Formats: sequence, structure tokens, C-alpha cells
Amino acid sequence: MTPLERRYRRLLLAYPRAYRRKHGDELLDVLLEDAAPGRRVPVLREAWGLLAGGVRSRIVHQATGSVWVDGVHLGVTAVAAVNLAALLPYAEALPLWTLLSALALLAILRGRSRTAFALTLLTGVKAVGIAAGFQAFDVTLLPVSPSRLTGRALFQDSDPLVVAAGYAVVLIGLAVLAWPRRPVRARSWWWWAVVVPVAWAGPQWLPEETRYPISLSRMCVEVAVFGLVVAAGYLTRDYRWVLASGIYLLLLSCDLAFHVEYLERQHLAYAGILFLLLVAAAFAPLRQRRHCLD
Amino acid sequence: MPRGTSEVSEPMYFVLTALRAGPLHGHAISKAIKELSRGRVQPSVGTLYGILERLNERGVITVDREETVNGRNRRYFRITSDGQALVEAEARRMQEAAALVLRPSGA
Repeated sequence: MTPLERRYRRLLLAYPRAYRRKHGDELLDVLLEDAAPGRRVPVLREAWGLLAGGVRSRIVHQATGSVWVDGVHLGVTAVAAVNLAALLPYAEALPLWTLLSALALLAILRGRSRTAFALTLLTGVKAVGIAAGFQAFDVTLLPVSPSRLTGRALFQDSDPLVVAAGYAVVLIGLAVLAWPRRPVRARSWWWWAVVVPVAWAGPQWLPEETRYPISLSRMCVEVAVFGLVVAAGYLTRDYRWVLASGIYLLLLSCDLAFHVEYLERQHLAYAGILFLLLVAAAFAPLRQRRHCLD
Repeated sequence: MPRGTSEVSEPMYFVLTALRAGPLHGHAISKAIKELSRGRVQPSVGTLYGILERLNERGVITVDREETVNGRNRRYFRITSDGQALVEAEARRMQEAAALVLRPSGA
């Protein structure tokens, strides 16, 4: 395998696995036939075309099935990822509960709504217990000490009601999906990649003394995901992405409302950007058609 | 019908025009587009296959046959009757639009 073929194969990872398996070699064949002899690095235009085409293909393949079932499942997945991210920095102190939270996210990603419901219920009761200062299931030394990803104790700045709301949203969504049983698709493994930057407390953008810290890494992930929501709504003229991000933003709004007296201008800018992106995603499906296959 | 829905984008127009000559595979379509447009339209492979998949899904083109070359699968696409009608309608629309500018003044 030449270096050029290896690099093109890496770029083809942007496409969904099923598409890559069926047509990846065909695209590679055309790319290599078009390439100048001796070339080792992909042409920038081709690299961008593969990345954009791959993301487009992934988005379009997701826009199938019931809009509301898929939208609820997507929203629940995002909130469950944030719930896991809240526990992850304390994995050394709470190994069992972090593992159960990770298993809950895994069950959601694989479309096992009933298993996910049971795991989320267990983890949720424990998490709310820690936030409210009572012992649930086992004895935990409070406050739970921070580790490498953050400098604060677990739920030090969180209201127990907000923590409960995060788990309640997931439980309600899973209950809707599980009883009666509604088929949901398995979600991308890329969801695991958002957990660490959301869990990480740095880099700092807000003043150090703030009572409501949100890391810049988390903000960047959220803005990037909401940007993808706008792109998905634009490409597919579908509302499932808006429904999912609406569920997520509703929860975030509750969190902001509970911390209203501690909000800085950075908080407002961050919330404003997410709301603007949500509005853009809501209107994107209404765009005018440019051509007959648009 | 919303405005613009009967129109065809420029790369799609050249793909359909290239396939009027007979079934072609991806690389041959790419070369034909470049020749037909005199080098002006050169979609990347990612863009070209995005167009081909969408045209195929809408029944404007279809897979004529598949061949294995150097161990790799190669699809040959052909234009359907719907595709023929679409590209001809687009050509007529452009011809009428061009005539507004190019016809002798006073005619």
C-alpha cells in the first residue's frame, strides 16, 4: 500500500462503515487513477471533498425512521453523556458508579432502552444522594475529592434539583422509548469522544472565583455539536436534530436559571450562541430548494 | 411547487449529459465532466459520488452493471428515461434564458 493510498483510506473513515464497505474501494480506485504519478499526499480539494462528503453521507443516513423517536433518543444520549462526564473526574473515588454510568450510556448507544433505564435509575439515585448529602446504596465519603480532570469536589456548585433533572430527563426519555418498546438505532461510538472534553475543567475562560464554572473545552464541544445540528437540519430538512438539541438546551437552561445570580458575561455569550444555533437549526429545514434534487 | 425545484445544479447537469453517451464508471464520468465543461467544472471525487448517490436514489440514473477491476468493485451508471427528460428540460430552460440575451435586438 502506497503512502497516498493509506492517507486516502484514512480520509474515507469520514464515511459511514456500511458505505465504506460497499463503495470505499470504488472511491479509492477513482482517487488513485486521478492522482499524479509519485504523489504521496492527497490533494487538498479531494481531502476536503471526502471529509464533507463523508459527513454529509453520515448525516443523511441518520435521517430515517420516526423523527420524534429518534429525536428523543438522540437528546437522551447527549444528556446521558453529560451525566457520565460529571462523574468521570471522580472515577477513582466512585469506580462502581462511574462504571454503571458508562454502562448506562453504552446501553443507550446500543438501543437497549430498558437496560439503560435500570442503570440510569441506580446511578441517578446515587448522584442525587451525593449532591443532596445523603447516603444511597453504599457509604461515600463526602465531599467526593477531585482528581486530575478538575479541581472541585463532585457537585460542589450544583443544586441537587439540577442533578436530579439531568437524570429525570434521561429516565423519562428512556421510559417513552421502552414502554411500549420502540425500536431505536445504535448510535455512533464517537459519542464516547465527547465525554472527556466535557468532563475536563480546563482551559479556563470564566473568572477563577466563579461559583458556576463551565470549561472552555465543554463549551467548544457543545458549540461544535450544535453547529452539526444546523448542518444536519439544512441538509436533510428534518426536525429530529432540533428536537434532540431542544431537550438538551432545556436542561441547560434549568442549570443556568439555578445559577442566575452567579452568571458572568461569558455564560451569557455561551448560552446565547447555543440558542442562536438552535433557532438556526429550527429554520434550516425551511430553506428554499436550489435544484430539483435538493 | 417551490421556486427552483425543476432546476438542475451545474455538476448534476454535466453528470447527466456525460451519461447520455452511454454507461460510464466514476473515473470516466469525472473525465467526461472536465472535457464537456472545458475544465471549468471539476467536482472532487467525494462531491461526484455524493451527486451520483443522490441521482441514483431519485431514479434519475441507475447502476447498469458492476465489474471488478484490480480487485476493486466498479459501478457503471446509466441515465434513466426520467433523467433524460430532466436534463432535456434543463437544456431547454437554459436555451430559452440564453435566447433572451443572445437573440438579435428587435427580433
